Amino acid sequence: MAFPKKTKKALIIGVSGQDGAYLAKLLLEKGYEVHGTSRDHEVSSFANLVKLGIRDRVKTTSMVTSDFRSVLTALHRAEADEVYNLAGQTSVGMSFDYPVETFDSILIGTMNLLECLRLFKHPSRFYNAGSSEVFGNTKKPATETTPFYPRSPYAAAKAAAQYAVTNYREAYGLFACTGILFNHESPLRPARFVTQKIVSTAVRIANGSKEKLTLGRLDIRRDWGWAPEYVDAMWRMLQQKKPDDYVVATGEEHSLQQFVAETFRQLGLDWRKHVASDRKLFRPSDIEQSCGNASKARRKLGFKTKIGFKKIISALIKQDQIHQ
Amino acid sequence: MNTKRALITGITGQDGSYLAELLLSKGYEVHGIIRRSSSFNTERIDPLYKDRHEKGAKITLHHGDLSDPSSLIKILGEAQPDEIYNLAAQSHVRVSFDIPEFTGDVTGIGTLRLLDAMRQVTPKARFYQASSSEMYGLVQEVPQKETTPFYPRSPYAVAKLYSHWITVNYRESYGLHASSGILFNHESPRRGETFVTRKITRAVARIKAGLQEKLFLGNLESKRDWGYAPEYVEAMWRMLQQDKPDDYVVATGETHTVQEFLEVAFARAGLDPQKHVSFDERYLRPAEVDLLIGDASKAKKRLGWEPKVKFKQLAEIMVDADIEQLKKEMEGRHIRN
Repeated sequence: MAFPKKTKKALIIGVSGQDGAYLAKLLLEKGYEVHGTSRDHEVSSFANLVKLGIRDRVKTTSMVTSDFRSVLTALHRAEADEVYNLAGQTSVGMSFDYPVETFDSILIGTMNLLECLRLFKHPSRFYNAGSSEVFGNTKKPATETTPFYPRSPYAAAKAAAQYAVTNYREAYGLFACTGILFNHESPLRPARFVTQKIVSTAVRIANGSKEKLTLGRLDIRRDWGWAPEYVDAMWRMLQQKKPDDYVVATGEEHSLQQFVAETFRQLGLDWRKHVASDRKLFRPSDIEQSCGNASKARRKLGFKTKIGFKKIISALIKQDQIHQ
Repeated sequence: MNTKRALITGITGQDGSYLAELLLSKGYEVHGIIRRSSSFNTERIDPLYKDRHEKGAKITLHHGDLSDPSSLIKILGEAQPDEIYNLAAQSHVRVSFDIPEFTGDVTGIGTLRLLDAMRQVTPKARFYQASSSEMYGLVQEVPQKETTPFYPRSPYAVAKLYSHWITVNYRESYGLHASSGILFNHESPRRGETFVTRKITRAVARIKAGLQEKLFLGNLESKRDWGYAPEYVEAMWRMLQQDKPDDYVVATGETHTVQEFLEVAFARAGLDPQKHVSFDERYLRPAEVDLLIGDASKAKKRLGWEPKVKFKQLAEIMVDADIEQLKKEMEGRHIRN
């Protein structure tokens, strides 16, 4: 930048979600002025920002990434040094229910942001939220060079969006990065996500509820990380000299059954007595195995994971017990 | 007779939640469409959902979006509704200037997608379109009735106008039982907190409790015809019970300024607005709508519908409810998510 400013400004697109809220907190702690957008600024309660105690410190506006005019206005007004695009439909399961809106919010949204950034004389540094879902099944832990094999409308949209980011970086020299994040959890995950469903139901059962925990496939394997650590990796990507793409993962793989068993074990229960499987919850096409190799992020960004599988589960249980 | 089934888009909103209650009380099986959201605002229908578990209330929620045609076709196939109420929209007028394209897509084309899905999947269903008095905008006649020419003054109103005409067009082109209710402002304790009436009544409660000193507002001179939302959803239902589909104005026939609303609301709590209210130009719209007043004589004659709650009582209901809610919040019994 020609005129270095004292306070850095960041714009978080999709600030009402899990990652948006943790990233806002991180950037505020680093002294940034934080602006955020949501489709629902006028009606949103911004519950996640409230839970983290930072609602009053984030300047929020209405913006919809698929609405070009609103993107242009928001970017122009914020004059941010860094723009983080975390908005869009985020559920793989629901992307089979509304594939078109999923594409709109993820791909068209990213394209609109890239196009607007390209119009500015001093474009902001841009982080785009990629997803491990682009790899489909991973025979061995995926790296940045592993070929894509998307298996859902969500994954197809994320894959296309990542190609768009790379293309704009190469074609126009934008400082644009994609973080290919594997699953990352926290108490701010919406209840419809399976990890949250498992923990809430198990806690209710531990408190005496007679219900069954009904799940789809239990044999799927995932690489689960801790969301607050992953947003730190996003920020680090934008502090590098050169823009690039990075896999962010723990490198550890566990089955959903292990997640269920560990959750019930920590609550002193035997999961086999409380869990039922329902074919209706199976996805039209699912990924059996998903695991990432983050050695590039560790080497170049100094990315570290401190919170592992068991700690994640105990943190989720603790938070849930406070709320129930 | 078989149980009637209704599908409500926008069920989490003010009108959607009142309409769901009304239809459940009439024995309907109610289906609602909700959008994805990371901080979902379902508090208006949470009590109904609780009744589902405890009293067997027949309510089902489907994930879908008016911007996604295939989700609509799927939901219509699953719910097989006899009546469809399209209440979903980006419904904030001032915000529609910030997100005009999205507003046009959801508030405008969304209606086309729903009508077209209905034509394919459930062509015998009856359709209600939530039209708005904002379509009169720069009013061409006082008071406004079904035959008054429109003059929309915001991206929101333009999108609503498209929805109104596409509803009429599908009725005439394909013989659908599709009606459009042109509702004037209708308020309640469930009104969104950024709408001016609710913003005022919430502020009154908070000022009275010592939690807030100032209230910032835009234009105080706009005149609106304000009714009570629970009565207005009754008019929607009545439209779909007619043999023939048609369009109806729903209004009280009285008009009042925002300033008057302010005075009644503050007086209810024994406060003086002069001490607390300041002007903020950020709340002005780029193009204003000055005066709205509706003539609902057609609805009275054909639907037997008449408003009972008038202006002063409405403001007082809202102030009382906000004072009560704040009391609960402060006692920690009701914590907003």
